[in-house]
Amino acid sequence: MNASPVNILFGACLLGGSLVFTGCQTSVNTVSREPPAQRQMVTDKRVLTDASLGRKVYVIGVAEAPTPGGVLQIQVEVWNRTRSPQRFNYWFEWFDSNGMQVNPTSTAMIPCTLEGGETRLLSSVAPTPLCKDFRIKFIEARN
Amino acid sequence: MKPILFPFFLTLIAALLWAGCATPARRIEAGGRDNITTVGHIDTQDFITAADASVNKLLASGALDRVPKPPAILAVSVIRNETGHQFDTDLLTKKIRVKLNTSGKALTTTTVGLGGKAEDPLAKELGTELPHAPDFTLSGKIIETRAKAGNVRQSTFSFQLSLTDNRGLALWEGEEEITKQGSRATVGF
Repeated sequence: MNASPVNILFGACLLGGSLVFTGCQTSVNTVSREPPAQRQMVTDKRVLTDASLGRKVYVIGVAEAPTPGGVLQIQVEVWNRTRSPQRFNYWFEWFDSNGMQVNPTSTAMIPCTLEGGETRLLSSVAPTPLCKDFRIKFIEARN
Repeated sequence: MKPILFPFFLTLIAALLWAGCATPARRIEAGGRDNITTVGHIDTQDFITAADASVNKLLASGALDRVPKPPAILAVSVIRNETGHQFDTDLLTKKIRVKLNTSGKALTTTTVGLGGKAEDPLAKELGTELPHAPDFTLSGKIIETRAKAGNVRQSTFSFQLSLTDNRGLALWEGEEEITKQGSRATVGF
C-alpha cells in the first residue's frame, strides 16, 4: 500500500470525521408508563422568531397544577427533535390576574442541554399565590 | 512628507486602531445573556439561579404553610462559605429573603440573630418584639468541588439549605448544584 502523506492525511480526516459524526449522533431512548399519568394541560400560544430553535427544541405541551403551598406550578415539556445535543437558555415570567408582571427583577436565564431525542420537563413555581399567568421564553445558547 | 513624521503617524494609527477595538463600558442586565461566566467563581447569575431554584422548591413543598399563624416568621442562621473564594453569603441569602417576603408566605426577622447579634441593632434596642418566637431558622453552606482534565477546568458549587422548625427538626432541605466547565472565562451563556 502506498502510504503517501496525502493518503495519510485523507485517512486521518476520514477517521476524525467519522468519530465526530458518531459522537454527535448519540440520542436518548426513553421508556414510560402507558397510558401516562393525567396532567392538566394548558392551551398555549406560541410566537416563534427563531424558527431554527423552534424546530430543534419543540415544546410538546404545558401543564399546570397547584403546589401543596397553594401556588401555581408550571411544567413545560420540551423535546430535542434532532440527534445531536442542543444547548439553549430559558426563563419564566409570571403575571397576576390583571396581567401585570410580578417580581420582574433578579431573574437569570437557566442554561439547559438536551441530548439528542431527549424530552425533559422544565418547571417553575409562581413567586406568589397571586400569580395566575406565565410566559416561558427560549433562546439559543451563545457559546 | 518628511521621514521623521512616519513614526508619529504610525503610532497615531496604532493608537486609533487599539481604541477602536477595545470594548467600551456599558451597563448590562444582571443575570442576562451578556454576563461574564467564569469557571472557578460563583457569578451573579449563579447566585440568582440558586436562590430562585431554592425558593421555588421551598414554596412548592408547602413547608412554610405548616405554621399556626401564617405568615411564618423566619430567622436566618448561618450560611457558611466553604468554597476557596471570599464573598458575602448575603449575595445568596438576601435574594432568598426578598423572594420569600414577596411571596407572602414568610417574613424574616431582623432582630433575632446568632449569638444575640441582631441585623438591625436599633430595632432591637427599641425593644421591638416579635409576636412570637421564629417558626423557622434557615441555615446552610456553599461547597465547591473542582476537577481538571488537561486545559479544561470544572467547578461545581453546591448550595445546601436547611429549614429547621422550632422543635429542631429539618422540615425542608434543599440542594442546588451549578456546574461550570471551560478553559477560560467568557461573555455570555
